[in-house]
Amino acid sequence: MSFSATLRDVTLKYRDGDALSDVNLELEADKIYGLLGRNGAGKTSLLSLLAAFRKPTSGEVLIDGQPVWENAAIVSRVALIREGGDFDDSDTVKAAIETGQIRPGFDTAYALKLAERFELPLKKKVRELSRGKRSVLAAVCGLAARAELTMFDEVHLGMDAPTRDAFYKELLAEYMERPHTVILSTHLIDEVANYLEEVVIVDRGRILRHEELEVLQDMGATLTGPAAAVDEAAAGLEILAEQQLGGTKSVTVAAFAPGTRERAASAGLEIGPVGLQDLFIHLTDPSRNGARR
Amino acid sequence: MTALQNLTLPNRRYSLGLGIAGAALKYFKYWILAAVALAFLGPLALSLSTEIDLATWFYTGNIAKWFTAFVAGGFLYALVPNMIAAGMTRRELSVAMGVFGLLWSAALGALVFAGLLAEHAYYGAMGWSQGVKGDDAVTVLGSWGDTAAFAAVFPLLYLAYFAAGAVIGAAAYRWQNTGWLLLFPILTIVFSLDNAVYDTEPFGPAWAGVLGRFMDDWGRGLVLAGTAVVAAGLAIAARRILIDIPLRSKKA
Repeated sequence: MSFSATLRDVTLKYRDGDALSDVNLELEADKIYGLLGRNGAGKTSLLSLLAAFRKPTSGEVLIDGQPVWENAAIVSRVALIREGGDFDDSDTVKAAIETGQIRPGFDTAYALKLAERFELPLKKKVRELSRGKRSVLAAVCGLAARAELTMFDEVHLGMDAPTRDAFYKELLAEYMERPHTVILSTHLIDEVANYLEEVVIVDRGRILRHEELEVLQDMGATLTGPAAAVDEAAAGLEILAEQQLGGTKSVTVAAFAPGTRERAASAGLEIGPVGLQDLFIHLTDPSRNGARR
Repeated sequence: MTALQNLTLPNRRYSLGLGIAGAALKYFKYWILAAVALAFLGPLALSLSTEIDLATWFYTGNIAKWFTAFVAGGFLYALVPNMIAAGMTRRELSVAMGVFGLLWSAALGALVFAGLLAEHAYYGAMGWSQGVKGDDAVTVLGSWGDTAAFAAVFPLLYLAYFAAGAVIGAAAYRWQNTGWLLLFPILTIVFSLDNAVYDTEPFGPAWAGVLGRFMDDWGRGLVLAGTAVVAAGLAIAARRILIDIPLRSKKA
């Protein structure tokens, strides 16, 4: 049984201001979500509330329909893996993994198998690990938690590209074998885009967008073809990104005006979905209104 | 922690407390063995140059009080982020710390109790006097009963020091820059009560025993009752600080 998550009128205040303001969010069970936002947008604060790392200043945080705060039956099956993990640095890697056994669902054999696959030195102290290996340890513990809601907050930082790729594949394999709710908070947007079903964009403490990935991608398009034809089709549209190689040009536009798609198609241009990262940059551009308070 | 294997949700708070106590005793086993060895061999070495008339285990037992406070505070400070991130509730963690405190205090108390009794036999065999230095004079623990009665209060004192350390550890985590300041009022109360139990000179910073002057006429029973009340009060305070403690943000 996988967990849904609900935030109702949630505000989280810190001493220096609001981290989240009147946030309402519904996340269905059994989906992989991408949580996107600029630095300081409130992503980590939102995840901290879902994992009961913090208590909201006001509002309700429900997991599987129940309040998450001090709810052992729920929090034992919710995992938030923060960058570098939350370990006792004086522990060995093996001891740090075994600490996960505090969760009744923790799969130690799976964790040790992953540790071997990712070449984690079990006898080394956590404090002796490189940043990348520490991130791997955190990711391994997150996967082996076998939680019903698993959240990875920038857990890939420090991992090299092959390790990140292996991690995403393992995450997907685990998800396919045991459907559950996953939230990936990341700045490497295009790298994870293929794995996401829905995207939540947080901006300045509010939910800016919560859409299925396809809906977001259909908000704009990438036009590719002869430079002159592309320029003609894109004339008057908001351009998010452009690339040119010889006579071939590719332009990402934020939104189509009526008839643009047809004109582009008749001009022989290739029309592709908009890159999530380009769209994200556009939507959270400080010069736009976005979710500004 | 082997105690964590095969746990269930309802009992994991107790399993964790048991596991932490076991892990802590295992982690510090060489320190403890060294202290035991020093407590027995120290007087033997000193006897070559001076007359032995003070119980070494009294000092060992006192050092263990400070050690207990550091263990409680240090462990709690480290466990708050680790255990909450591992899916425990704060209530469960506070129960686990309670179990840990009881077991740790009982184990160290039993060790010091046994140490003082063994020392009684040892000193007797060597012809030395097992004395405890008080405010005005040295009190000799003349009989097995005197030694047992003297040693019996150590578990309670360890519990008080453990609770004191737990409050300071929880406060230091919760209020990053100022929480540790609770050390001063807490230490003053616990330390003064401790010294009133034996009517001894403060075994530590003299200022911390400042409240002792108000306890001079209390009598041992009242002081012990006061110690028990303070230990319970500190345990409640630690739980209160812990119960809605937020996890700190990770630093980049």
